[in-house]
Amino acid sequence: MNDLIVQAQNIQKVYNPGKTSEVVAVRDVSLDIRKGEFVAIMGASGSGKSTVMNILGCLDRPTSGAVLLDGMEVSGLPDDELAKVRNKLIGFVFQSFNLLPRTTALENVELPLVYSERANIGRMARMALEAVGLNQRDHHYPGELSGGEQQRVAIARALVNEPEIIFADEPTGNLDTRSSYEVISLFQKLNGLGKTIVLVTHEPDIAEHARRIIRVSDGRIVEDRVNEHPKSAEDELRKLPGKEVKE
Amino acid sequence: MKTLRIVKSAFKSLGRNKLRTFLMMIGVIVGIIALTMVVSAGMGARQRVMERVRKFGLDSLMIRAGGGQMLGRESGGQPTVTLKLEDAEAIKREVREVADISPQIHRPQMEVKYADKSTTTMVLGAMPSFATVWDWGAAKGDFISEEDVENVARVCVIGPTTRKDLFGEANPIGEMIRVGSVQFEVKGILVAKGTSPAGGDMDSRVMIPMTTMMRRLANIDYITNIKVRLKNAKDMKKAAGSIQALLRERHQQAPGVPDDFSIITPGEVTETAEKVAGTFNLFLILVAGISLIAGGVVVSNLMLISVSERRKEIGLRKAVGARKNNITFQFLIEATAVTLTGGIIGIALGVAGAKILEAVTKTPMAVSWQIVVLGAIFSSLVGLIAGIQPARRAASIQPIEALKP
Repeated sequence: MNDLIVQAQNIQKVYNPGKTSEVVAVRDVSLDIRKGEFVAIMGASGSGKSTVMNILGCLDRPTSGAVLLDGMEVSGLPDDELAKVRNKLIGFVFQSFNLLPRTTALENVELPLVYSERANIGRMARMALEAVGLNQRDHHYPGELSGGEQQRVAIARALVNEPEIIFADEPTGNLDTRSSYEVISLFQKLNGLGKTIVLVTHEPDIAEHARRIIRVSDGRIVEDRVNEHPKSAEDELRKLPGKEVKE
Repeated sequence: MKTLRIVKSAFKSLGRNKLRTFLMMIGVIVGIIALTMVVSAGMGARQRVMERVRKFGLDSLMIRAGGGQMLGRESGGQPTVTLKLEDAEAIKREVREVADISPQIHRPQMEVKYADKSTTTMVLGAMPSFATVWDWGAAKGDFISEEDVENVARVCVIGPTTRKDLFGEANPIGEMIRVGSVQFEVKGILVAKGTSPAGGDMDSRVMIPMTTMMRRLANIDYITNIKVRLKNAKDMKKAAGSIQALLRERHQQAPGVPDDFSIITPGEVTETAEKVAGTFNLFLILVAGISLIAGGVVVSNLMLISVSERRKEIGLRKAVGARKNNITFQFLIEATAVTLTGGIIGIALGVAGAKILEAVTKTPMAVSWQIVVLGAIFSSLVGLIAGIQPARRAASIQPIEALKP
C-alpha cells in the first residue's frame, strides 16, 4: 500500500452549504494514485475536475471525506501545516503560468525554495532550469519569454523542491500546438524519470498522452481507465510542419 | 537563511513598483522633515538659553528693581526708584555668601557725539567691580577706577562698535565725546562681546562711573540692577533668600506686600525657559507628529491597495509553501523599509533645512545624533504600525487565489 502517493476517500466539496446558492462541485469522489503514475483528469469546464485537483493538491479542503498524501492524512491539517506539505511534497503548474512579473526566470524558479529550509537555492534553481532546457534564459524576465518558455519556467519552479507529485491545471490551455506538445513532452520525460504527474485538461488529445485517464462529470468520476497506448508528444512534435526544433 | 530570503523578497517587491514605493515614502519624508526641523529648533533654543546662563555665570544672580518675573526686560512705565546703591553695599557687607557685587544704571537710547559724528546707544553707570563681576574689562586703555567714582570723573569706556561709529580706525583714547549734554574723556575700549542673546549689540555700550551717571548725567539716586557673584555656586538658594530678606527689611516692606525687586537666579532662568520652550515644542512636535501619522495612513492605504493588486502573487507564494507568518513578515518588512528609507531621506532633508534656516533667519538650530536616532525609530515605528493591517490581510489570502484568473 505504501506506494500510494494520493488516496482520496469519499471527498465532497460543497460551496455555500445550506443556502439557496448551494453548489455541489464534487460528490463522493474516491481515488488512489500510485507513485510514478501519469494521470489525466478530464472533463468539461464546470465538471469539478479542477476542484478535485485543488483538494488533492492541498490548495483547498474537502467539505467531507479524507485525503492522504504519501500515507499522511492532510484534509484536517491547519493552514501552515498544509503550506509545509505543499512546499515539500507538491509542485504546481498553472494554466496562466503565474510567474512573478519583472522577476527573472531564475528568481521565479527559486520561489518555493525561499520558503524551504534549504541552502544553496540559486544552484538548485539553475539545475531545475537546465532540466527544462532553459538554462540560457535564467536572467530573462517573463515578458521576454514566449508562452511555451514561460510555462517551462513554471515547470522548473514546480520541480525545484524535488516534489513527489506534480499537479498541472490546464498547462496547455494558453499555448499554441507546438508549445503544448513541448510541455507535454517535458511531463512525459519527467514521468519517465519517476515523477508522479496529475494533469487536468479538457482536451481529449492532451489527455491521450497520459497513462491513465479519469473522466469527471458533474462532480463524479464517470470513467477511470488505463491508457494502453499513450501518445508520445515527441512524435507529435516531429510530425508538425516546420519541425526544426528551436532552442 | 529563510528570513534573509524573505527580506530580500520584500525589497524586490518594492523595487518592482518604484512609483508606489515612492508615493508611500512621501508622507513619511514630509513628516520626518518637520519633526527634524522642529526638534532642531527646540534644542537650538534650549542651547541658546543654556549658553546665555553659562555666559552670565552659574555662580551669579541678578537683582532687578521692580517686581514681577519678566525675563530680561527693563520695567516699562514708571521706573522703580526703591533700589539704591546703599542696598548693593549692604548686600556685600551683610550676606556672607556674596563674593562681589556690580550695581548698574542703564540709560538706553542716549545720544553720543564726536565731532560731526553721532550715534544712539545704551549708556551704563558702573562701578570698577563691573570688570570682575561680569568678566568684562577694557581691551585697550583702562576701565573705570575707584578714583573715577570718587571724583565723579567725566570719563568713559566705549564698546568697539561705538568706537568704530565715532572714530573709525583712529585711536579714541584721550579724545572727548559728548554723552547727552556732558563731555567725557574716552579712557578705554571694551572687550568685544558680540551680540547679546536678546539680539542687541553689546559692543555699542558706553560705560561711565556710577557717581557720574547719578549726579552729572541722569540726576537720580536709584539704580537699575545689581549683579551679585557668589563665593560658591552651591549657595545660590541660601544667598537668594538672605538677599530677599535683607532688601525687604531695608525697603520696609510689610509682610504680604510683593517684593519691589526681583531676584533672578540661573536655575530660575533655565527653568522658565524650559517651561516656555517645552510647551511650544510639545505643540510643534504634535503638529509634526500628526503629519507623520498622516504619512502612516497613506502608507497603510497604499499597502492595502497593493495587497489587493497582489492577491495572485500572494496566493502563489502560499501555494508553493509560504506560511502565514512568512507573508505577514514580508509585508511588515516592506512597510518598515519604505518608512525607514523615507525617514532617512527626511532626516537628511530636515537637517539640510535646519542648516539653511539657521543661515537665513539666524535662528539657532541644534542638530544632534539624537534627532537622527529619534527620526529613524519613529519612521520605523510608523511603518510597523501602518503595515499591521495590510500584512494581516495579505496573510489571510488563500493559496487558491493563485488559480483565479
